[in-house]
Amino acid sequence: MTHRQFITLTVNGDRREVVVTPEMLLLDVLRDGFGLTGTKRGCTSGACGVCTVQGDDGRAVLSCLSLAIQWDGRSVTTIEGVAGPEGLHPVQQAFLEFGAVQCGYCTPGLVMTVKALLDRTPAADAAAIDEALAGAICRCTGHIKVKEAARQAVLRLQAAAQEQAHGPAQG
Amino acid sequence: MARRKADLAVVGRDQPRLDGADKLTGRSLFTDDVVLPGMLVGKVVRSPHARARILSIDTSAARALPGVKAVITHAEAAKVVIGINQPLFRSDTVNYIGDEVAAVAAVDEATAARAAALVRVEYEPLPPLPTIDAALADGAPILHAKAEGNLAWQSAEDRGDPDAGFGAAATIREDTYTTHASHNCYAEFHAVVADWSRPERLTVWTPTQTALLYQKSIARSLGLTDGAVRLMTLNTGGGFTGRTSARPHHFVAALLSRQAGRPVKIRASADEEFIVCRAGGEVRYRYRTGVDADGRILAFEADLLFDTGAYVETQMIVTTLTAAYIHTLYKVDATRYRGRLVHTNNIPYYFHHGGGIAQMAFGLGLHMDALARQLGMDPVDFHLKNMVTEGHTSLTGTYFASCGLGECIRRATKQAGWKRKYGRQKPLRGIGLGIGAMASGAKGVFRHDTSAAFIKVMDDGTMTLFVGLPDMGQSSHTAMAIIAAEVLGAEVADITVVSGDTDITPLDVGAFTQRGTFNTGNAVKAAALDARRQLEVTAAAQLDCRRSQLVFRGREVCSQAAPDRRVPLKKIIYDTLHSREGRFVMGRGFYNSPKESGTMAYSFGAQVAEVSIDPDSGVITVERVVVAHDVGRAINPRIVEGQMDGQVFSGMSQVLYEETLLEDGQVLNPSRLDYKMPRSYEMPRVEHIIVESIDPFGPFGAKEVGEGPIVCTVPAIANAVANALGVPVTEMPIAPWKVLRLLGRRGGKGG
Repeated sequence: MTHRQFITLTVNGDRREVVVTPEMLLLDVLRDGFGLTGTKRGCTSGACGVCTVQGDDGRAVLSCLSLAIQWDGRSVTTIEGVAGPEGLHPVQQAFLEFGAVQCGYCTPGLVMTVKALLDRTPAADAAAIDEALAGAICRCTGHIKVKEAARQAVLRLQAAAQEQAHGPAQG
Repeated sequence: MARRKADLAVVGRDQPRLDGADKLTGRSLFTDDVVLPGMLVGKVVRSPHARARILSIDTSAARALPGVKAVITHAEAAKVVIGINQPLFRSDTVNYIGDEVAAVAAVDEATAARAAALVRVEYEPLPPLPTIDAALADGAPILHAKAEGNLAWQSAEDRGDPDAGFGAAATIREDTYTTHASHNCYAEFHAVVADWSRPERLTVWTPTQTALLYQKSIARSLGLTDGAVRLMTLNTGGGFTGRTSARPHHFVAALLSRQAGRPVKIRASADEEFIVCRAGGEVRYRYRTGVDADGRILAFEADLLFDTGAYVETQMIVTTLTAAYIHTLYKVDATRYRGRLVHTNNIPYYFHHGGGIAQMAFGLGLHMDALARQLGMDPVDFHLKNMVTEGHTSLTGTYFASCGLGECIRRATKQAGWKRKYGRQKPLRGIGLGIGAMASGAKGVFRHDTSAAFIKVMDDGTMTLFVGLPDMGQSSHTAMAIIAAEVLGAEVADITVVSGDTDITPLDVGAFTQRGTFNTGNAVKAAALDARRQLEVTAAAQLDCRRSQLVFRGREVCSQAAPDRRVPLKKIIYDTLHSREGRFVMGRGFYNSPKESGTMAYSFGAQVAEVSIDPDSGVITVERVVVAHDVGRAINPRIVEGQMDGQVFSGMSQVLYEETLLEDGQVLNPSRLDYKMPRSYEMPRVEHIIVESIDPFGPFGAKEVGEGPIVCTVPAIANAVANALGVPVTEMPIAPWKVLRLLGRRGGKGG
C-alpha cells in the first residue's frame, strides 16, 4: 500500500541512501534516519522555526514542511554540521557570548536561520535580521539577545572577510 | 556579611552558560530525543465533547490491530487517582474537550494513531457549562458532586480591619477587570518517556521544573514508593510556571509501559499541546481601594473569580499567591481577599508565565494608576508614597530585609524621561509605569521549601556539583557553579554541574516560586563552604596561618597576613586527598528557610513602557521598555538581562496578544499559527537597569529575576495603552479589535 523508495541524501557531508515513504518529512529522516536530533520537532506546521535546516542553495528550510523525497540527490546542513574542527561558527560563538541561548530548544533553528541569512547576505542589517527571524518564536529570550548576537556575528564575519582580503590590520 | 563587588572574583561577572556550546551544536538532549530499545509510541483517546455521558467504550478493534501492545481505559486503571480525587480515565462523564478516556501504545506513531481511532466510545452529549456565568447560574447542572454550586475552591481572609479602613477613607475607588485563557507556548511540547518494564522500577524522562514533586505525585498515584520512581530531566524547553505538576500523560505513559512491558513515549500533538498544557482560564478581578486625604492606602479589597475548568489539581495555590501579593508591594493597614475557583467545561486551569500574579497585576496596575489620577497625583508619587520599604513588616508577617523598589521607580522613570513625557504626549502615544514584587521561594505555599547540594572535589582541581534544581533555560546551573567557584576560589570552568536524575542528585523542591538562586544557591554556598573547610586544614598548615585568615581566590590560596605567598588550589586539594589520612573532599549543603512559612526575600521592580497606537488597525506598537529590577545581587549580569528580555516579551505578549479562544469548550486557535505571539520585529527596545540591594539572607546578596520583571511589564504596558487611549482599559489581551472599539471605530469582535 505504501510506496517506499530509496533516496540519496547528503547531510553535513555524509552521503547516505535512505528508505522513505511519500509522506515522510525531511525532519523525520534527519531525526529518525540519520539520528541527528539537534534539529528539533516543534509545531510541525511551519510556525515556530525550531526545525530549521539549511538547504544546498544556502536558504533556510523548515524541515517540518519539506517532504523527504524532494531532497533526493541533494544536500542539507543541520546544526550538527555548523561548528568546524577549530570550534564554534561565528554565529554560534556570538549566541554564546551575547546570552542568546536560554532553554535551547529553539536555539538550533535560530542558529540555522541566522547562518543561512548571513551566508547569503553577509552585510545583513537589523531589518533583514528581523525579517529572517520572523518565522521563529522564542518566549525565553524574546528575540532581543538573539538579534544582538546576529548583529555581532555580522560585524565579526565582515571583519574576518576584510582581514582575509587585506591582511590583518596594522596597529 | 555582604561583600563588596571588588572582593568577588567570580560572582557578578559575565559568564557564558555552561551548557551553551552543547545547546548551540545540537548535542543537548530533550525528552523527544530519547530512544530506548523496544520503545513504543503512546496516544491518548480524548473526549470530543465538552460534556457528555459515556454510554460504552469498546477497545476490541484497537486491541486486535497488529502492532498494538497496550490499551488502557478506566477499567484497567480504576485505582489510579491524580490531582484531587480525579480518576485518571473517565468512565461515567467527560468534562472537557480533551478529557482522557483511553490510551494505546503501539510499535510506531501511525499504528498508535490508527489504534486510537479504533477505540469506539459512545457518548450522550450534555449541554456544557462553557463560562463562569453559565456555571454559576441558578439551576446549572453540578459538574462534581463535591463542588456545590460548581464552586471548586473558595478562600477568604481579612487582615486588619478593612471595614474601618474603608470607613475612614477620603476616597474609595472600585474597578473590575478580566483576563482570558492563555497558553504557555513552550518551545518544547509536552513529552514523556516512561519505562516501567520491571514492576519494581519506573523511570520517567520528562521536562519539568520540579523533578521532586513529579516523582512524589507519580509514586503516590501509582502506588509506588518515591524511591521506586526515577525522574530524569534532560533539558527542559521552557517552564514559565507551567511545568510544576505532573499531568495525566505522565501517568498514562507509565501505565501503558507497565502493561506492554516496554518503554513508551508520548508526545503532545500540536492541538493536544493546548489541552495538555492547561494554561490559565478566564479570571475576573474586582479591586477596591480606600485612601486618606494624602493618598495613603488605608484599605484594599480584592475579589477574584477563576474559571478553573473541568478539574482541580493544584490550582488553589493561586488564591494563596494572589491574596498575599498586595502586601509585598504596598504598605496597607487592612485588606479583604476572596478567591473563588469555578468549575466549567473548559480545559483545567493551570499557571501561565507569571504564576497568576502577572495576570493579577494587569488590573491591579491599571486600578492603582487610575486611583492616582483620580487623586490628582502622578502615579510615580502615589507608588513612592505607598510602597513597601526596607525594614517594613507587612500585615502578613513578611519582613523586607532588602528592598530596592524606590530606587527602581526613580531610576526607571528618570531614564525613560517620565517627567518630560507623562501627560505631554501626542494623541495615541502613551507612557506607563508598572511596579511589582516577587517572592524568592514560598515556604508554606508548598509544604516545604528545601534544597540540598553536594560538591565533589577531585585531585586535578576539578569539581562536580550535584544539584536537584532543573535549568529550564534561566541558566541556574551556571549560577550555581558561579556560587561554588566563588566560595572555593575556583574558576567556573573547573566545575561540572550534574543534575536531572533523582537517583543521583540531592533533594530539591525545584525551580519555581523563584526559589532557585535563593534556596538552592544558599545550599550550594553551604556545600562549597563545607568542602572548603575540609581543604582549610591542609592550607592553614602549609601557609602557617589560622584557618580564618585563609583566602581562596583565582585558583590560589593565601593568608590575609601574607597575600604574596600563594599556593595553587590544586596543590592544596592534591595534598589533602593524598595525605596520610587520605581525606576525600566532599561538601554537603542544605537550605531550608528558617521561617515557619513565607518568604525570606522579595525582588522588586519598576518598568516604564512607551507605546503608540495605529488608529486604523488598532495595532499597538511597544516602542521602548525601561526595566529596573532589584535582584539583590546579579550573579551573572548578562543572564539577568536575558531574563528581563524574555519577561518583557512574555508580558507584552500576554497584555497585547495571547488568548486561547474558547467556544463551548472548544479551543478555536490550537496552533502556533493562530495563537498570536510577538515576532522578532515587533519587539521594543529594552533597556536594563540592574539594582542591587544586597539581601542579607541571599547567597552573596542575590534574590531572584526569574519572574519579577514580568509582573512589572504587564501593568507598565497596560498603563501605557490606557494613557495613549485616554479611556479605561479593562480586558487582557488588548487585541486590536478591542482597541478599535475603545476608539469608537468599530463595534463587535472582528473576524
